[in-house]
Amino acid sequence: MSNRLLHLDQVTKSFPGVLALDKASLDIRSGEVHGLVGENGAGKSTIIKVLAGVYVPDGGRLTIGGRVIDPITPESVHAAGVRFIHQELHLVPHFTVTESVFMGQEVRGRFGLDTGGMRRRAEAFLRDVLAVSIPGNRLIRDLGTAERKLVQIARALIDEAAKVVVFDEPTAPLASEECATLMHAIARLKDRGISILYVSHYLNEITDICDRVTVFRNGRSVSVFDDIEDSTGQDLIAAMVGRELEDLYPENRRTPQASLLELENYSGTGFRNVSFRLRAGEILGIAGLIGSGREELIDTIYGLRRSTSGTLRLRSRQLRMRAPKDAIDAGIVLVPRDRRHDGLVLPMTVSENVTLATLDAISRFGLENRRRARQQTEEQISALDIRPSDPEKVVRLLSGGNQQKVVLGRWLLKNADVYLLDEPTVGVDVGARSEIYALVDRLAKDGSGVIVSSSDPGELIGICDRIAVMMRGEIVSVLDASDLSLDHLISVTTGAEPTEAAHG
Amino acid sequence: MTELTSNRSSSLLRHLFVRFGFLLAFFAFFVFFAAWNPVFLQGGNLLNIVEGSAILLIVALGMTLIVATGGIDLSVGIALDFGAAFAIVAMKSYGADWITAAALGVSGGSIVGIVNAILVVGLRISPFMATLGTFFIGSSVQRIFTNGGGPISHRRMPDEFRNLAMGDIGGVPVEVIVAAVLCVIYFLVLERSIHGRRIHAMGMQRLASIVAGIRVNRVLIASYIVAAMTCAIGGLIAAASIRMFTPLSGFSYLLDAIAAVFIGAALHPRGRPNVLGTIAGVLFLGMVVNGLNLMGLNFNVKDALSGIILVSALALAVAQRKMR
Amino acid sequence: MAEHGSPGRLSRLVDTAPLLIFALLLAYIAFEAHNFFSLLSFKLILNQSLPVVIICMGLAFVVMAGGDDVVSGGIDLSIPATAVLCAGIIAQWLATNGSLPVAVALAAGAALLVGAINALLVTRIGMTPLLTTLSMFVAVVGVNNVVTSSRRINVSDPVILWLRDGQIAGVPVGIPIVALIALSFYHLAHRTRIGLNMQAVGGSRDAAETSGLDVKKLQSASFILAATTGFIASFFVLARGSGSSPGVENNLMLEMVLATFLGAAFSGRRVVTLWGAVLGAVLVAAISIGFKSMGVNVFWTGLIKGSLILAVVAFGALAQRGRR
Repeated sequence: MSNRLLHLDQVTKSFPGVLALDKASLDIRSGEVHGLVGENGAGKSTIIKVLAGVYVPDGGRLTIGGRVIDPITPESVHAAGVRFIHQELHLVPHFTVTESVFMGQEVRGRFGLDTGGMRRRAEAFLRDVLAVSIPGNRLIRDLGTAERKLVQIARALIDEAAKVVVFDEPTAPLASEECATLMHAIARLKDRGISILYVSHYLNEITDICDRVTVFRNGRSVSVFDDIEDSTGQDLIAAMVGRELEDLYPENRRTPQASLLELENYSGTGFRNVSFRLRAGEILGIAGLIGSGREELIDTIYGLRRSTSGTLRLRSRQLRMRAPKDAIDAGIVLVPRDRRHDGLVLPMTVSENVTLATLDAISRFGLENRRRARQQTEEQISALDIRPSDPEKVVRLLSGGNQQKVVLGRWLLKNADVYLLDEPTVGVDVGARSEIYALVDRLAKDGSGVIVSSSDPGELIGICDRIAVMMRGEIVSVLDASDLSLDHLISVTTGAEPTEAAHG
Repeated sequence: MTELTSNRSSSLLRHLFVRFGFLLAFFAFFVFFAAWNPVFLQGGNLLNIVEGSAILLIVALGMTLIVATGGIDLSVGIALDFGAAFAIVAMKSYGADWITAAALGVSGGSIVGIVNAILVVGLRISPFMATLGTFFIGSSVQRIFTNGGGPISHRRMPDEFRNLAMGDIGGVPVEVIVAAVLCVIYFLVLERSIHGRRIHAMGMQRLASIVAGIRVNRVLIASYIVAAMTCAIGGLIAAASIRMFTPLSGFSYLLDAIAAVFIGAALHPRGRPNVLGTIAGVLFLGMVVNGLNLMGLNFNVKDALSGIILVSALALAVAQRKMR
Repeated sequence: MAEHGSPGRLSRLVDTAPLLIFALLLAYIAFEAHNFFSLLSFKLILNQSLPVVIICMGLAFVVMAGGDDVVSGGIDLSIPATAVLCAGIIAQWLATNGSLPVAVALAAGAALLVGAINALLVTRIGMTPLLTTLSMFVAVVGVNNVVTSSRRINVSDPVILWLRDGQIAGVPVGIPIVALIALSFYHLAHRTRIGLNMQAVGGSRDAAETSGLDVKKLQSASFILAATTGFIASFFVLARGSGSSPGVENNLMLEMVLATFLGAAFSGRRVVTLWGAVLGAVLVAAISIGFKSMGVNVFWTGLIKGSLILAVVAFGALAQRGRR
């Protein structure tokens, strides 16, 4: 262990109601590419934020190069040579490459800044270290996503003081051919003796470029693969998933009835030729990684974006959604993935949010019947067990789970036919999750159709009847959920296992 | 508000400030003016404050509506001018009776709102830029129409129209009654109706409102037109009180209207622009002007002081809200 | 997601539309008004636009550091008021037999104070720049009216007269001076750390914060800088009007906003830039003078300017939509 460079030892971090990290450890050797994998909510992003000095851990310590870093602050970690390549690019679109690389660390020259020198250094760094030639005077907005990513990397590393670089989901926004450029750059960094912590959902990338891999599950570091060469994606998946009780999910299966929603060769920005049929009483899952087109598909069905071709039929009636109001009137409702921005009006109260889509029902001569609104809200509060049970509470102050219940409560008042749920349980604690699953199950049993788009494969298998897997904008496979194993679903979703195109 | 955890005296002070800061300032000014000149407190003078604030109040109501939708309207003065111009010209050149004249005035003002709505909703120009453009164009149109900005006077207007500004019902000036009626309507629509709920929701979080099925564009169009029509009613009163149309006179209400709305928003427990707060903001500004007048200050000094008080009041109001 | 490669022909047309509109307009003027492209009228245009050019650069700094959303981003509407206040202080001091250096020092102090108050209200109290600087505009104009008693004050100081009448090699002396100022501001914006960092803050606050920049400090600096441009512009306000006269600030403000945001439409990056602002100011002056020399009634200029800004901003909005 003499070449251990960075060591996070027994780190614990809890948030109200959630133990996000439970004595998790991570050690990175000098000059290696170390992978970090785990399902959503396993604690990956929490430990990254602890390492970045964003979260203060409740316990545990950080050692870099034999020195204990205490306290862990953004400054102390930076001084110790740790750099972060965040998932978001954080670049100014109208800045040049040189300006972006040197942002906040500009070099002074004789008259003001040494622009020529900076440009030469930026170009040289991109060429020699990252093996791309990008002119320093190009504007960021004229670059492709992969090039922007490289500029972001150059900014983190230009001071030549980096010892460990943390990549957080670097390929998520990239097309497959762009990934190769990035992988190449990472290999070059490794050649220069820089250690890399590589966080990704794409297991094929992990097995391709990592030397060792740590697997997180439920806030713990459950296993370390010291020799990834001898392991396969399946081994990683087995470690990620573990074998746990699944009583989070309702037991019964439903019996789907008549066809409700039909999509035929439905295309739009970000997805194409999507065809499927949702029946009443059915829960259809949509799986896919970030960038697979899942989000765009849901948004388009709901009228937030326009479809470009293909048809959408609800109860055999062809519909064209121009705005969400059209979808709502037709009986299709959406629980959006970003509930804080798109789902709720945060500064408004529970009551105001719950009744927002059904205002006509509480109107008397256009005026709001406040008693009626309060009564309806209280019904939803008790039906969904929203806490605190105060209808006048501002929703900003509610927990994630309760906020989600407020969104659901709004649509329950509407009695919709089709429920689109986009990442319904992200940021929702376990207790509220099982309540939401039970509710979704009840909706389907009462004859509605439900589409659940989720990045959590366990959730999809747990509650869905069928699961459509999307990859790079297309449905590549439709799987029956009843005899589907987690490993298999993850393999199909992550591309670890090739699939033949399927239709449902 | 619910956090009554203030157990130290410093946080108690803070709590007092957060809760009552602006009201305290309001009363401090009130007491100061009353002490300076006892006339300030006389019933006649207090009525003067209200009467003198009527037009500003009407304009500020329109502004409240636009700010509630998440925008801002720099063209309220133009709508006011158009209201006055259409009414005066209808009476003077076409001999219209007072009702027709008033109706024409209000529809004249609505043109401004329609233009704003087209720019904001149709062309997706930001409200600031759109209404600034309307302001430019509207000002220019007035100059062209009046050949450089000379007033159009109409001394022999019908008494009924004249009474909009000069008459009273049971001792209460008609313009105060008009303003009060508008206040009640705005209060009901903005604070008590389902339309108001939609307006506030889209002003706070537009995307979430769209997802909740609110037809945001329709709400916006209606708001801009209604706000302009409201300002035009203010223009009718202005025209009636001086028996003429003075081009570009509406501009003087713009900044005070904005200030009143934001003071009012800061007074609201959740920081929303709201009718009652706007009324309080208008009365505060009216009180300051009246009090400074009674102090017998030089015109210029008075101007400067009210400007400085405006900045301070806004800063106080915003600070109070941010500390919540 | 983001499709790279060449943008469509249509969107490129939309991109260049603002420039095209302007070129056509100038061509039309040149065709209608003879001598429009003569050296003399060129000098006249430049000379007339000097005060606006300077304050536009100040506004450009604030927008660069605050982002170009007019309501929530950076804007400083108080610069013209600052310029007029500085001019008023200098004129008043000179009129009471004071010396120029003291007058200049007083004016500079006043400008810095205004800038500091703006910065304080925006970065510490948390008021939006629009609300802050709009109300500061009112307050500063009020203070100026106290300083000058709302009178016109003639200035006959040789330095100011030299700025008005002096020539270097046949070129009015103001033009090379302002050109030098513009160059040094350009240096500040693009060749110094603080300038680049300011732009980073405005371009993406997240990016600036992850790069460890002090966002509040940089935004404050932009307001101080803006007030400084107001101070510098005051000399040219004095020179252009041969003294200080009340009411100049309204027109200056409108021209400043028009020119700066027009400039954004011209810049390749479609953001507010120094060069864009300067070019915008000169073009606005060119159009004003052009129409005047065509014999177009001056009352029409507001209409034309208003339509122009709307056209340009609407194309900007269209281009944005096309790009998404």
